[in-house]
Amino acid sequence: MLISRRIEPSSNANHGWALPLIWGVLLAAAVLGMPYLESVFRWLEPDARQVIYRRAEFSTLLGRHLLVVGVAAAVTILVGVLAGIAVTRKRGQDFLPLVGQLASLGQTFPPVAVLALAVPTLGFGTLPIIVALMLYGLLPIVRNTLAGLQGVSTDIKQAALAMGMTPWQVLHRVELPLAAPVILAGVRTSVTINIATAALGATVGASNLGDPIIAGIVNGNMAYVVQGALLIALLALTVDSLFDAYQQTLRSRLSAS
Amino acid sequence: MIELSHVSKHFGEEAAVDDISLRVAKGKFCALVGTSGCGKSTTLRMINRLIEHSAGDILLDGQAIQSYDPVKLRRRIGYVIQSTGLFPHWTVARNIGLVPRLLKWPRDEVTARVEELMGMLGLPIEEFAHKYPHQLSGGQAQRVGVARALAANPDILLMDEPFGALDPITREKLQDEMVKLQARLHKTVVFVTHDMDEALKLADHLVVMRNGRIVQQGSPLALLQHPEDPFVDSLLGGLERGLKQAALTRVKDHMTSLGQSLPAQSRIPADYSLRQALSMMLRDHCDRLTVVDQQDMPIGELSLRKIVKEAQLDKVSARDAY
Repeated sequence: MLISRRIEPSSNANHGWALPLIWGVLLAAAVLGMPYLESVFRWLEPDARQVIYRRAEFSTLLGRHLLVVGVAAAVTILVGVLAGIAVTRKRGQDFLPLVGQLASLGQTFPPVAVLALAVPTLGFGTLPIIVALMLYGLLPIVRNTLAGLQGVSTDIKQAALAMGMTPWQVLHRVELPLAAPVILAGVRTSVTINIATAALGATVGASNLGDPIIAGIVNGNMAYVVQGALLIALLALTVDSLFDAYQQTLRSRLSAS
Repeated sequence: MIELSHVSKHFGEEAAVDDISLRVAKGKFCALVGTSGCGKSTTLRMINRLIEHSAGDILLDGQAIQSYDPVKLRRRIGYVIQSTGLFPHWTVARNIGLVPRLLKWPRDEVTARVEELMGMLGLPIEEFAHKYPHQLSGGQAQRVGVARALAANPDILLMDEPFGALDPITREKLQDEMVKLQARLHKTVVFVTHDMDEALKLADHLVVMRNGRIVQQGSPLALLQHPEDPFVDSLLGGLERGLKQAALTRVKDHMTSLGQSLPAQSRIPADYSLRQALSMMLRDHCDRLTVVDQQDMPIGELSLRKIVKEAQLDKVSARDAY
């Protein structure tokens, strides 16, 4: 499913950026306007003492959420893409099955278990959740980097070499540009999954948009849960549609393949 | 000049190329012919070191190819393949300008060279420069492939079944253009094909390969007259050999001066092939043709009886020379 996000030539490449804009505006409105929706949440939780989560500003939580996902994504992309490149080179070929299996293993390991194992060594806070997200998000990136690079036709790579390109030039001027749409699809899957998974960080003291959800569960306050879930969903939709729009521009620029 | 002496290539136990020796003089067109898997493409790729040979010597201008840096070596050798290998994310102009850019030519020189080549290969600049490879027909794409190979003006051109994937009409057109191009540029060409007619049409030197070995090599005419074994004979068309040989011969080489008798009705231009002349005789039920020049003025006569006799003489003299 991850790899099958295939690249179909799109006829209307330019409707792209409207959707992320809409989701982004909705997200901003939700972050800033949540306190004004007290009456709605009051209806949901008539008996609670408080119906709007106030232990931290929603904008602060959103910022921390983005930071955690962003740091994890940056490291994962770096590691995943480099690993994918390394094992598709002649010298790294032997490690190809190993890297594939390691990445799969990372994803079969539930993030909750990673958190449980990471806390004793890394302590409470943001670090354990970043580690968990990195392990969890690695697979789609590694797998799509491999699929993308292996999908570049041998004839094209041979021709590039035969024209007198150095292996480095073949990689960054031919292979990576041609594999980019597939790699990007992997990054998109990884980041979107991790936006939701990052909420788990609240259980180990990393404050982010998962906080209202955990607090809501602990206190039996559905209003908090809905607020956290709503913001996380809107964030995921915004980011996902951003990737979609970027993929479309990439595709139309490269409609070739 | 390219020289291979006792070159072999082993993949594990198997010998893909087994002790071959051949020499392509500067400015000559050499065709490697054989069925698929006979080692002809491997031979080609050993010349630009896409594949390293296992034994023997490959010399380029008298120097062993191992002594060249492979990257620099390849920038001096044009390379054309059947599937074109054009970069799908680059425009036609960018594809063609690749090697000059790798060689760090100044930008305006690259542009000028790209435009020159597009003109040479019949690709109007306004129409094609900004197109992407997927917007081209097979024939157009291969023209771009040839232009890219010629871009940095290499002395040597390696072509691996370049016209093999094209429809017969386009293929013939590109072959004709290749003949004209070669007459003008005098590149040292090594050309791989399984199409004997293509090889006969283009090559100065034919090399027939089977199972990694050279079965026979020589000029097209020499091979047609004296195929050394049944395999070469069958590649050359068996019974059709006579006609293939006739296709390589010009009418003017067999024409005699106008005789006393009435000139024949059917006329044929002097630069047509003997094969076309024979076909015309069959069509028009005659054994004599009037040979005309470009202005359609009679300049000689072609007689079936004389062609047949001369063919016999050729055979005798060629055998003596062999």
